[in-house]
Amino acid sequence: MLWLLAVLPILSGLMSLLMPSVRLVLASTASSVLVIAGIDLWVVVTVFMKGPITSNGGWFRVDALSAYHLAIMMIVFLLSSFYAVSYFRNEPDDLRLNPGSARRFSALWHGALSAMTLVLISNNLGIMWVGVEATTLLTAFLICLHISAISLEATWKYLIVCSVGVAFAFMGVLLLAASAGSPVAGAPILQWTYLHGLARTLDPRLVKLSFIFLLVGYGTKAGIAPMHSWLPDAHSQAPAPVSAIFSGFMLNMALYCLMRHLPIVKIATGYSGWADNLLIFFGLFSILIAAVFILSQHDLKRLLAYHSVEHLGIILLGLGLGPLGIFAALFHTLNHSLCKTLGFFSAGRIGQIYASHDMRKITGTLRANPLWGGGLFGSILALIGVAPFAIFMSELIILKAAADAQKYLAIALFLLGAGAVFVGALRHAIDMAWGEKPEDIVSTSNNLIDRIIVIAPLAILLILGVWMPAGFRTVLELAAGIVTGGQP
Amino acid sequence: MHGMTENIMAVLLLINLALTASSRLAGCIGLVAMQGVVIGLLPLFSQEGFTPRGFFLAGFVIVLKGVIFPRLLTNTIRDASVRREVEPFVGYGASLMIGTALTVVSFWLGTRLPLPSYPAGMSLVLPGAIGTILIGLFLIVSRRKAVTQVLGYLVMENGIAAFGLAAVSKIPLLIELGILLDAFVAIFVMTIMIYHISREFDHIDADQLNTLKG
Repeated sequence: MLWLLAVLPILSGLMSLLMPSVRLVLASTASSVLVIAGIDLWVVVTVFMKGPITSNGGWFRVDALSAYHLAIMMIVFLLSSFYAVSYFRNEPDDLRLNPGSARRFSALWHGALSAMTLVLISNNLGIMWVGVEATTLLTAFLICLHISAISLEATWKYLIVCSVGVAFAFMGVLLLAASAGSPVAGAPILQWTYLHGLARTLDPRLVKLSFIFLLVGYGTKAGIAPMHSWLPDAHSQAPAPVSAIFSGFMLNMALYCLMRHLPIVKIATGYSGWADNLLIFFGLFSILIAAVFILSQHDLKRLLAYHSVEHLGIILLGLGLGPLGIFAALFHTLNHSLCKTLGFFSAGRIGQIYASHDMRKITGTLRANPLWGGGLFGSILALIGVAPFAIFMSELIILKAAADAQKYLAIALFLLGAGAVFVGALRHAIDMAWGEKPEDIVSTSNNLIDRIIVIAPLAILLILGVWMPAGFRTVLELAAGIVTGGQP
Repeated sequence: MHGMTENIMAVLLLINLALTASSRLAGCIGLVAMQGVVIGLLPLFSQEGFTPRGFFLAGFVIVLKGVIFPRLLTNTIRDASVRREVEPFVGYGASLMIGTALTVVSFWLGTRLPLPSYPAGMSLVLPGAIGTILIGLFLIVSRRKAVTQVLGYLVMENGIAAFGLAAVSKIPLLIELGILLDAFVAIFVMTIMIYHISREFDHIDADQLNTLKG
């Protein structure tokens, strides 16, 4: 019955089409996402208590890895859906939603949730690919919710680059299926569990070729450099709640697809470290490219977008560093998603208050609006790896994993990139927080939900930074155990 | 039966070359539609054979790629009132040369790729598929008009469909339908985008969408 998880958002999306006013559409979106989050949470808990769930003859399956990502997805969507209510209420008059565009937003929002759920619950690599492609198509119109010349440009780039990129991933899926040789009639050739079971007998040459295509394809969607060209445009032009789900989960969903294929590649290549080296290379490349652009950035949302390139690079680097690195990469996934969602939330509201995303004009945010100014400052601090936030911890474990693996060059390059980002972003963060507040800035009031949205992610990041609960460690170890593919 | 697949792949490769050399958008749409129909027929003469599933899929693909996509695209160029690809980044003579070179490369790649389930007597399917994918990519990067980029994407899709036939013995029906649904939504979304772009900018030159930088 797992397919119901993907159908539920569609049903609630249809329901929100019936709502007469903008307020009701957004309120029903938030409440239906809350209900769906509850159901998903139940599935996630069941998986961690009792082991993987398989349904519909092996088409759908949720194990520790997908359950972990399912949980992150629901956190991001839940926060973003509630944030959307307050964000759209505070839009300037010329950008205000009308009931029609609000319904379109809600329908696509639910559609994106459904497609991402499909990616996570499918045991079939073909269906997984169909889900990834569907997220591209469903989220495209969310970027240009407000139609303008630059939002159309961003949407077109996103649509073409991601469609073509993800098409390469399908070549990868086909090549992986081909590596199994001539299967017996009726064998489920694209099923993850089937291929995983056969992994030792797969043709390593074809598996390697397939992984290159998968890395390019899903890497495009995950914003890995040098395939990231669409990312800063789309993230900066989309309305803030949409940027938040893009950065907070859609990129991670694409990496999740790579994590699914990784154990098969590792086993088929006899743990030779071939795939690890590729991951380390692209990870470091992303970190360094992002650092260059962060140093010369003046647009707040583009700054956050390049932070996404950097952090997805860090996760990729971790994935290439053996079991400990994979553990840290998964930990980093949650930390980055929480932090980046808050970052885009704050950037969105601060952008509305200052009527600009130019960081040279945004000064004195802490006096203009302590809540969102503080949220922005806190999230940037956490993003650049200031202790004791959890991102500092996960980066530390990745460094330890690199040291254990004696990858000293990787450590040096990682520290170089992270150091540049630290200096570049901290300068902006301090100016924005404490600079001279312009006279004409009028702040808006914040309600209880706004406060929860800002304080909850920061609190979780602080707690996880100083103390990792035993239960959470077990969750991470279970999920990491799937990605390692039994690597010693 | 296998003789037929070779003929089909030959037609596919010829359509590729014709695409690189034609400037009339309506002509390009027609060529891509023809390619879609040919791709739809291919499984009937290879893996599927004349089975109910084979006919169902072939009919589905032909209606989608041969009728619906061309109509959507024709409406788009009419609304945006563009007829020709003026001044592509790579001229038509050079494009034809590059197209031929890409085809040669794909024949070389086709012999190098060790596909186990690749049936004997289908020697043109793999190089044809790779060639079509490469030509599709070439059209996307070398042409200015947004419509031609969509056509390039469709050509690439066709190539991947042929590649799937060579690589995997049988893709489950549900996945085939999922892929076609995605392709349909993709073309639908892209044509709506082109409509908005032509209204906002008074042109559909994708290379002039270059405000966002850094």
